[in-house]
Amino acid sequence: MLATGLLVVGPLLAHHSFSAEFDGSKPIELKGTVTKIEWANPHVYFYVDVKTAQGKVENWGCETGNPGSLLRQGWKRDSLKIGDAVIVNGYRAKDGSKLADARQVTLPDGRRVWGGTPGDGGPGDPVKKGGA
Amino acid sequence: MFFHLCQWLFDSALGTSIRESTYVFPLIETLHVLAITVLVGTVAILDLRLWGAVLKGEKVTTVARQLLPLTWAGFALVLSSGVLLFIAEAAKLYSNPAFRLKLLFLVLVGLNPLVFHFTIYRSVDQWDEAVVTPARARLAGAVSLSLWAGIIVAGRAIAYFH
Repeated sequence: MLATGLLVVGPLLAHHSFSAEFDGSKPIELKGTVTKIEWANPHVYFYVDVKTAQGKVENWGCETGNPGSLLRQGWKRDSLKIGDAVIVNGYRAKDGSKLADARQVTLPDGRRVWGGTPGDGGPGDPVKKGGA
Repeated sequence: MFFHLCQWLFDSALGTSIRESTYVFPLIETLHVLAITVLVGTVAILDLRLWGAVLKGEKVTTVARQLLPLTWAGFALVLSSGVLLFIAEAAKLYSNPAFRLKLLFLVLVGLNPLVFHFTIYRSVDQWDEAVVTPARARLAGAVSLSLWAGIIVAGRAIAYFH
């Protein structure tokens, strides 16, 4: 009983789970330029202008974890600046909007940082290993 | 007009500093949840007493009197922490359907005890020791429990809407 209880509690500790909003079967890679950063609770968002194959520019929202969890994963508040070139590997929102869960972000200095919230149950979640 | 007020609160120094903080926001969130347990927990005990489910041997007025200070303490903390969280997210909460539903439930849950106290509770002397209280008192208890459950569910659901 206690064990199953703990397994259920784990994912609940995240603000909301990955699967509530994003589709793990729809990976996406966004290469573009940062246009806006919202360093805010409960989720940090940044926005990227991405050029499509047709030459059109689309503005994509990228959702990450909360400020505390990003800081623990090696982000700094000024890791991203407007105009920075980034590569975002993530998953599309279920509602089809131009929003992605940024699982991995390649920063301008070449560092790759994890953007998800540990325990959100999404692809690559470090807490998920061997768990429920 | 309400939206402009929300945007102004959102952009205020207080709202911005809470929203962009590392620890203050989760700390206020945690206090909010702890305060809910005190407020709704004590309210639920009284509601269940009205139905004769708990503390059957205690007078309704005794239960109410002993719980009320805790209920008010929980209320003060839940309200102040909730206001701070609202200020930090006001511009986003304005259009959030779960938040709107929560506000509606909060208004109704505030009216419920007012109606209760000015109607059936006036005759409490006649049913103070009754295990199962009159139907109107039990109705107030059921409405209270349902609305508080709805408020908690709606509050949790805020995170799932944009």
